[in-house]
Amino acid sequence: MDLRIDSATARRLEQVAALGAAQMRPLGLEADRLGRPIPADHPFFATLVRLGLGRTRWSGRPGPVTGGGPPVEGEATGARHFVCLAEEMAYWDRGVAVAFPGPGLGEPPVLSMGTPEQQERFLGPFRKPDRPRWAAFAMTEPGAGSDVARIRTLARREGDHYVLDGEKSFAANASRADWIVVWATVDPSVGRAGHRAFVVERETPGLGDFKIERKMGLKAYESTSFTLRNCRVPAENLLGGEEHYRGREGFRGAMRSFNATRPAIAAMAVGIGRAALDATVEFAREAGLSGDPRVRDRIERAHRKLRAARLLCHRAAWLADLGRANMVEASMAKAVAPAAALEAAALGMEVLGAVGARGDHLIEKLFRDVKAMDIVEGTGQIQRIVMARHLVNLPRDA
Amino acid sequence: MIDFSLDPELELIRDTARQFATEELLPRHREFEGARGLPPEVQRRFAETGLALVELPESLGGAGLGALARVLVLEELGAADPGAALALDPLGPALYPLAVFGGEEALVRHAAPLLEQPGARAVLAFDPVPELSEEAGRVSGRLAYVPSDRIDLLVVLEKERAYVVREGLSLGPVRGAGLRAAGAAEVRAEGAPIEASFVNTPAARESLARARLYLAALLLGVLRAASEYARSYAVERVAFGRPIAHHQALAFLLMDMESAVAGVRALVHEAAWRLDQGLSAMLACATAFTEACEQAVFVGPNAVQVLGGHGFMQDYPVEKHMREARALSLLLGGPDAARDEAGSLLVRETGPIELGAREP
Repeated sequence: MDLRIDSATARRLEQVAALGAAQMRPLGLEADRLGRPIPADHPFFATLVRLGLGRTRWSGRPGPVTGGGPPVEGEATGARHFVCLAEEMAYWDRGVAVAFPGPGLGEPPVLSMGTPEQQERFLGPFRKPDRPRWAAFAMTEPGAGSDVARIRTLARREGDHYVLDGEKSFAANASRADWIVVWATVDPSVGRAGHRAFVVERETPGLGDFKIERKMGLKAYESTSFTLRNCRVPAENLLGGEEHYRGREGFRGAMRSFNATRPAIAAMAVGIGRAALDATVEFAREAGLSGDPRVRDRIERAHRKLRAARLLCHRAAWLADLGRANMVEASMAKAVAPAAALEAAALGMEVLGAVGARGDHLIEKLFRDVKAMDIVEGTGQIQRIVMARHLVNLPRDA
Repeated sequence: MIDFSLDPELELIRDTARQFATEELLPRHREFEGARGLPPEVQRRFAETGLALVELPESLGGAGLGALARVLVLEELGAADPGAALALDPLGPALYPLAVFGGEEALVRHAAPLLEQPGARAVLAFDPVPELSEEAGRVSGRLAYVPSDRIDLLVVLEKERAYVVREGLSLGPVRGAGLRAAGAAEVRAEGAPIEASFVNTPAARESLARARLYLAALLLGVLRAASEYARSYAVERVAFGRPIAHHQALAFLLMDMESAVAGVRALVHEAAWRLDQGLSAMLACATAFTEACEQAVFVGPNAVQVLGGHGFMQDYPVEKHMREARALSLLLGGPDAARDEAGSLLVRETGPIELGAREP
């Protein structure tokens, strides 16, 4: 047993902390105050690209993927490294972190399902990007959230194209993305077996009606809804090609991308909670409340729950790095951490008292921001269902 | 880099403890409870495993291992019968003040004699108030409850010192809310002579941290047993046409119990690892114990709830889990003292709070 982080990760965390204190935290607060995402042409993004951020993990050749970014099965320390970085980024500002340029959530499906040609075409421009570039991922629809089998965006084959029709919701960075991985169905009557993933490129006719949603928190990045109307996508943009979707492989591709990121999302919640805890302690010290047992009990509780949650995140990531099944542990971390972080922020607001109700304190923003973490990448309820399927054989119709 | 694996030696110790607990303790836990103790042959077989001595230095016949080895053993014993775990451990958490304040010399003088007498018990009392008052080297006062029917050595831990009493104590048996296999008594001291006294504030804090971790590990075992029993029952028991575990209201509750146990285990292991690494561990130990106490009130009663009417009956173990987890949580000042300590440590530092596991 060794619960230390390695020196390479420690160095990266220091870099993130420097960037976070100087840029991410102030930009996140500004976006929150203005009520709109950081514009795509903001110089901050160009700075990030100059710093070497916003790149793909794809190496440019077939084989295992290394380096930063979401974990890939079999990688030695990637998942743990990524979980630590995710927590630190979210500590400074989770909204700004999601707004970072790069292939984002569009990358895992291209890596896991894409052909070598598709990886070259779509991830190649992200190897050494000339400017800030984004990609996006669109599964959710107005009528299909956790129950992804309900997606209704239709894909029908017409010659060497597929024609897509439907609506997608809440896709991060979608209006500024070079391409979006869009999930659609070729036959709604067969459920998941009909699912297909398409890379829909910007400027494709029929892709439009981008609407940047107004959110309670995490305002620094855009959550965007859009429509696909008679949107003709070349057949070579079907991820993995038709043969990839024999049996239920198509849906498993989607679930794999969720599964890989769950401990990291949980770690982001820990990061937000830790930011709230630090701000609470700072406020308590400055207000002379450090000796108040009620204040101290709140701080103790927030610390304790976050500390346990972080260990669960690390454990799930460690299992992923070993290539061992981590479904229960990943879901557990994701079920536990957002609640711990929300409580840390809520307790922090109680310590602030009326100051917390003014609406201009960091902790108040974190309280709004953190709620999303119990919803994205599988709600807390879905995580419990996943756990129960493994631990008590919960049937799918329960 | 972050690694939760156990060395093969630790796995072997854990498996030995699990085997003993499963074969010797679990089938007879109600018998031990009724008899307020364990028969000599069980005590002898436990002594043969050497598990009580994992943390003792090799010069005293121990294995010289650390806190992680100890918590692994305690989780296994606690899962079968935490009262028996206390009864089988001649020194129990009283080991820590002796070792931390007095080192090997104090262990030789005060602890070694107990290891020679089968069934001997040392008892640790944390007495910050204090309940026992001293006058000219003698203490008087009352301890409302200790989990033992005999005291061969009483170690009293205060905020800045520890002292040892061997004689002049009278014990009055009480029923005990739980842990009856270890016995249960009220202790009166009237001018009991202090045999040795040590003053050292950092040692007092470290002893208390280690003792809290001991209890947290036993609690972890109890909570695991309660959670697992409830889960296996819920998969078998049918209501409204399906196993009750397949009703979401119970499935979710069972999963939350599972997560609670995993969270306590993570905190217990982290605190033990920190102790073994020589890192600061007061906060980690207080945190692990507080969380274990809090989850004891969540997991224990809910395990009973999952079994419904059966849970309330003593034919099933979960009512015992619920009571014993509660009783364990009330030792050593309970969660309030631990919470106080953790809270004061957290507000005292300047700068950001380090959650612990990550710092290099």
